[in-house]
Amino acid sequence: MLFFSFFKTLVDHEVTIELKNDLSIRGTLKSVDQFLNIKLDEIQVVDEVKYPHLSAVKNVFIRGSVVRYVHLPANAVDTALLEDATRREAAAQANKAK
Amino acid sequence: MSFFGFDTTLSRDRAAHAPHPQQAPGFSQQRDAFAGLSGNSNEKAGDDGYEFDDTYDGLGDDLDEGDDEFNDETFGGGSAAAPGKDFDFFGSTAKVADAINEEQLLYARGPKKSTQPVPPTYHQERQTKAPSYVAAAKPKPQPAPKHQIPTEIPELKPEMSLWATTSPEATPAGKGLSAHAAAHFLHIENQEPPAQPNFGQPAAAAASAAPAARKYKSLEEVEAEILAKKQARLAAAQQPSQPQLPPSTQLNQQDGWPGRPVQGFPQHPQMQMQQPPLQQMELPFPPRAMPPPQQNQRLPQSDRAPEHLHRGPMPPPGGQIPFAQIPPNQQFQNNNIPFQMGMMPPQGPQPFVGIPPMQPQIMQMTEEERVKFLEEESKRLKRNHKIAQLSRYNGLMTPSDKNFITRIQLQQLVSVNEDSFNEDFYYQVYMAIRARNNPQQPLNQFAQTYLGQQGARGGRARRQDNHLLRMQQQVQRAVAAAKARPKASQLVLEGSLGKISFSNVKTPKPLLSIKKQDSVSLVEPGQKPAHSFAGIDRRSILAAAEDIYRCLLDLDSHERKHPGPSLTGQQPDANTIQWFEARDGLIAKLWRSMRIMEPIKEEPNALHPFIAILSVKKAKEAIPRVFRYIDVQQRITILTMITISLDQVDVIKDGRYPPDSLSLSNETKKKIEGFSQYVLPPLLSYVGDAQLDVITGLLGILLDRVNVLLLSQTQIGLAFLTMFTSRAEIIKQAGQADEQAILKWTQTYDRLFEILEHHLLDIFPPPGAQVDDMYVWQFLASMAVGASILQQQKMVSAVRDRVNENIQASRTLPQEMSRPKLANTNLFLRALGLDIDQLLSSS
Repeated sequence: MLFFSFFKTLVDHEVTIELKNDLSIRGTLKSVDQFLNIKLDEIQVVDEVKYPHLSAVKNVFIRGSVVRYVHLPANAVDTALLEDATRREAAAQANKAK
Repeated sequence: MSFFGFDTTLSRDRAAHAPHPQQAPGFSQQRDAFAGLSGNSNEKAGDDGYEFDDTYDGLGDDLDEGDDEFNDETFGGGSAAAPGKDFDFFGSTAKVADAINEEQLLYARGPKKSTQPVPPTYHQERQTKAPSYVAAAKPKPQPAPKHQIPTEIPELKPEMSLWATTSPEATPAGKGLSAHAAAHFLHIENQEPPAQPNFGQPAAAAASAAPAARKYKSLEEVEAEILAKKQARLAAAQQPSQPQLPPSTQLNQQDGWPGRPVQGFPQHPQMQMQQPPLQQMELPFPPRAMPPPQQNQRLPQSDRAPEHLHRGPMPPPGGQIPFAQIPPNQQFQNNNIPFQMGMMPPQGPQPFVGIPPMQPQIMQMTEEERVKFLEEESKRLKRNHKIAQLSRYNGLMTPSDKNFITRIQLQQLVSVNEDSFNEDFYYQVYMAIRARNNPQQPLNQFAQTYLGQQGARGGRARRQDNHLLRMQQQVQRAVAAAKARPKASQLVLEGSLGKISFSNVKTPKPLLSIKKQDSVSLVEPGQKPAHSFAGIDRRSILAAAEDIYRCLLDLDSHERKHPGPSLTGQQPDANTIQWFEARDGLIAKLWRSMRIMEPIKEEPNALHPFIAILSVKKAKEAIPRVFRYIDVQQRITILTMITISLDQVDVIKDGRYPPDSLSLSNETKKKIEGFSQYVLPPLLSYVGDAQLDVITGLLGILLDRVNVLLLSQTQIGLAFLTMFTSRAEIIKQAGQADEQAILKWTQTYDRLFEILEHHLLDIFPPPGAQVDDMYVWQFLASMAVGASILQQQKMVSAVRDRVNENIQASRTLPQEMSRPKLANTNLFLRALGLDIDQLLSSS
């Protein structure tokens, strides 16, 4: 749930999603769910010349399992808080495993 | 099949679905009797009657009766193939037919659509057979089959008495009336005498509205009526596809009586001539709904023209026509008012619902109003059309489907269950911080995420979030129910190393979770005895730093459970006391985790655990958070510990510029940066409140135990010295300290000055280093402020070269680079009571 929680804070920020098929899509993050499926609005494919068929697409829904990377806007990430959240997550996992 | 072998099929079903077998027993017998009777009465009443010769088409006369000799050969005859007496022409087929009929009935009662195709095809058949049928067939599908099927007639039996009271009006018109039509007509006259004095309507009414107008309504009749209405609607909906005769043609037809009477004996030309009023059948309007009263009297005269105007493209002359009674779709079909036709959506009758009642008003409107009206009307039509289109998807999902989806959505919203704060920690805290940082943002979101966790204390907020609260409760209940359900979340296969866990909302991806060995000792921060911190290897340092964080997180989450500020003057309740106790315990744990109280070892190179931990960045970052929880005594302890071991702290140890290098390593730079960013501020803020004797004491320890010369050559070391001296100076100038303390301080200061006196140039970074040397000038300034005149002179003579250098550089360098240099220098000069402008102007 950490990533879900994290991506929720990025809603309405511009992100670049790199898919496992090497397609990179930049757009405004509209929504994310616990499977990390992603809804993007006002999208733009990074290499538009290579994928002309996508130039007319305005918004996409991306299945979470096909995402390779998400490029984040650095100023929208609270690193210290993220560290804490990670610690909490780790602690919770450790408790569960016990 | 009935018990007695009667045909129990309803007559209308036969009419609608299959031709009735002529041999069928039952009511048809009665009908035959009635037909004969009516024929007789007709003969009496009028001039014409039913004669066999009239009805016989004479086709039989043309038969060739010869050449029958070989019939036996052809059709198989003779004694050998003598037919038995057990033949059954009808019985067994009737069984099958009835079964089919029943099935069709069932089918017809089912979805409406399935019944639709039947009547239209019937019509079309008729129309293609004989063009003259068109008019008759068009208006009302149901009456026609009824009249064609003789079994309908017996229902009229009770009305037989009416024959005596035939009205004079009707009689001439009914001159050529068939008995049935007359009976219908009279019946209707009886029923609605004032409202129904319609000119051409009576017969039409008789023909089409007969079932509805009957006095005695059996279940059968009611059903038939319903069916009739249904079919009428269908027929109307279908009409556009049918050939519309222009009014003139209709007129001609009417004049020449070509219209085919719908009642029985269709083939007989004479009958057609004899039954003119039946032409009214072709009126597209349901007769009951169309009684223009003024035309009533024309019926007896054979002036039909006005009647036909009704059917033409012209609107009906009578504005008072009660359109409301007309099934809307029918009206639309027959009023060929162009704009409305144009707006009609092409498919089914549904979209028209509710429109027609407005229509007659158009006549009385002015142009403007009409335009406006039409605009509104078109808007409404569009909307209705949209609604109709949308309603296509109505009922696609069952309530349980919807329930299921709602539940999924609710679970999606579950940020509300008890450990949601752990699950959704980042989001909730991030939002809380953002809400706090952004004053523009109303408290709403903050309340929803952060305060909501603590139970939304604000009264106003509570009211606003009432629905949200209710939903949360619902969700909580749903989640609780889901939890209560026993579920196998894991599967342990025999001989496997781990267990396979299934996915759920929180962990969508199934994990292979390997169970940890219990023997592996997890580091328990508090319990761990001090001496077990053995090596100062990086791993244990990192683990120790994590311990600090774990304690901090526990404290943080404990802090969130704060029972709330108790009202002033009130005794803290048990909860609050308990909370504070728990908090103290956690703080103690945190304190232990920092290992600051471990004894300082005497060996020269032994590193104190706390200092060792402090060498990691994350430990430095933790210091400000630790300072939030610990009390003053503990702060002094930390400050003292750092001060004592200052020369061992990595930022100082590695902070000196190597002899032949102009810069520090990147790692050290980062460390220095981190130290001054995270550790110094809390220390500074503490020192900012400290008393002079504390400062004096700290500086004294520093001078005793630490190599101040080494210290003075590092940024952090100088920062510490600056911190002490400037704070002492502030206290002195504010007059907050007594003489004794000031004297002590001056002594300590003198010691420091003595040490540094001849090394003042060494505290600068190497000449070529591209670093900001502001910290040096700050230190010099803080020293200068507290220095005596003599000390000041010494300082000036020591750093004069540097000052001059800066001033020279400021003349050659561009302004952006020279300005900070001058500013730094000025810092020191001002402490001496000088200003750089004097130097600039003098030299």
